[in-house]
Amino acid sequence: MLHIEGVDAVYGPVTALSGVNMRIGKGELVGLLGANNAGKSSVMNVLSGIVPAAKGRVLFEGEDITRLPPKRRVELGIVQVPEGRMVFPQMSVRENLLLGGVNASAKPKRAQEIERVCELFPRLKERLAQPAGTLSGGEQQMLAIGRGLVAGARLLMLDEPSLGLSPLFVKYIFEIIDRLHKDGLTILLVEQNLNLTLRFANRCYVLERGEIVVEGTADQVRDDPRTRSAYLGL
Amino acid sequence: MDELFQALAQGLLIGSTYGLLALGMGLIYSVSGIVNFSHGDFVSLGMYLCFALFSALALDPYVSLAVTLPAMLIIGAVVCRYLIAPVAEAHSLMVVQLTLGISLALQNLILMVFGGQPHRVPSVVEAKLVMIGNVVMRMPHVVAFVASLALATALFIVLRSTDVGRAIRAVHQNARAAALMGIDVGRVKIGTFAVGIGLLAIAGALLAPGTPIMPSMGLRYTVITLLALVLGGMTNFLGIMVAGVIIGVSEAMGMIYLSDTLGMILPYAVFVLIVLFRPEGILGQSRG
Repeated sequence: MLHIEGVDAVYGPVTALSGVNMRIGKGELVGLLGANNAGKSSVMNVLSGIVPAAKGRVLFEGEDITRLPPKRRVELGIVQVPEGRMVFPQMSVRENLLLGGVNASAKPKRAQEIERVCELFPRLKERLAQPAGTLSGGEQQMLAIGRGLVAGARLLMLDEPSLGLSPLFVKYIFEIIDRLHKDGLTILLVEQNLNLTLRFANRCYVLERGEIVVEGTADQVRDDPRTRSAYLGL
Repeated sequence: MDELFQALAQGLLIGSTYGLLALGMGLIYSVSGIVNFSHGDFVSLGMYLCFALFSALALDPYVSLAVTLPAMLIIGAVVCRYLIAPVAEAHSLMVVQLTLGISLALQNLILMVFGGQPHRVPSVVEAKLVMIGNVVMRMPHVVAFVASLALATALFIVLRSTDVGRAIRAVHQNARAAALMGIDVGRVKIGTFAVGIGLLAIAGALLAPGTPIMPSMGLRYTVITLLALVLGGMTNFLGIMVAGVIIGVSEAMGMIYLSDTLGMILPYAVFVLIVLFRPEGILGQSRG
């Protein structure tokens, strides 16, 4: 479904990614692991079109999307749920969900999709009129994921969904991710939580200083000594 | 007592148009974080466009809007896209510098084309008066009041309950998240800037009848706009509208109860007093 071929990304003089190759098959849950600043978010931002690829190309269902603006990528179904949720705090939960579906391809199905998200997250349904800024961290994460689903995600990219959540919520969010995956959604999961990611992902990549150092199934990645060193920065 | 009602009515009528001016600036500020110091000069531009159409075709300023509104929308979009957007990523003081530059350029352009002497843009309704009890209101002020209120209401409704309005608020609250939702942030910024300037074409036409126009008057409108904007709480649109009325009323009070010169100071005194006690603006914290 998605191919990343030899992608570099630079911020001024800093190289964030160099020669990254990845692929994500339809219906796969792929984990992207690594320490802080390893370049995990950069991969997502290149895929979302927020950060340009300095080199290489990105193919989505065979189409070269390397130069497409962010808006067009969302319309194709490449949707990022950003780190730190980034809900619109002064808007109600309902408005946040509506905003998820403002893009041209999601808009016709918006009402049904919001229905579906409310079934998936009953807590959101109870709080539809509440300003998103007053939700707990876990509820905001539900909203951020819900908003991404309303946006018509066919490739859902989750950036650190467990960050700052209580263990109970982490478990809940991962159950939701697992359920979405089992329903057939393709997911790219960026996480620091190694064990949980390895438990749910079909395959994983490990990034270290902007380069992929390990890739493979959960077991292969767990047993690879380079995974440990990438995490500990040794 | 009649004097008081007279002052209140006059202030309310003219203040609503001040509110409209400030609403245009508030819209631009809330989305792009730009304080436009050439705001008042765009009001002058709107009024001089009305004057040009009156001189050439004897058009009433209200009719001129059919031309000046689209013209100012386009001017706003072009200025934002080709002057402001390239600078906006740099230091915020650069944008201040730029808008100050635009202000001087507009002033001198108007001076060059129309000369420094005051002009008038008459309207058919100019001489008409409306009487309520003993309070006399000039027809252009009544028109301006009704139109400003209607426009402000329309703007509130658009912002509150349409996708365009939600997209504008989303860019204000978190531009990055808005981009991730597939909102074209650049286009929203250019669009709101154009609408903010377009509102000034309308405000210009509303203010024109009965007001002598001069190339240098832009600064006064910029200052009034800034007062209303700060008083209202920068991004609180209802607060901005109320603040415009407060400025208008204190101006009218000053003119009627104090001397002409001293009266002009009253809005600023009121402003300073309110900001001393409510630095966050009259309607509480600034909110989108």
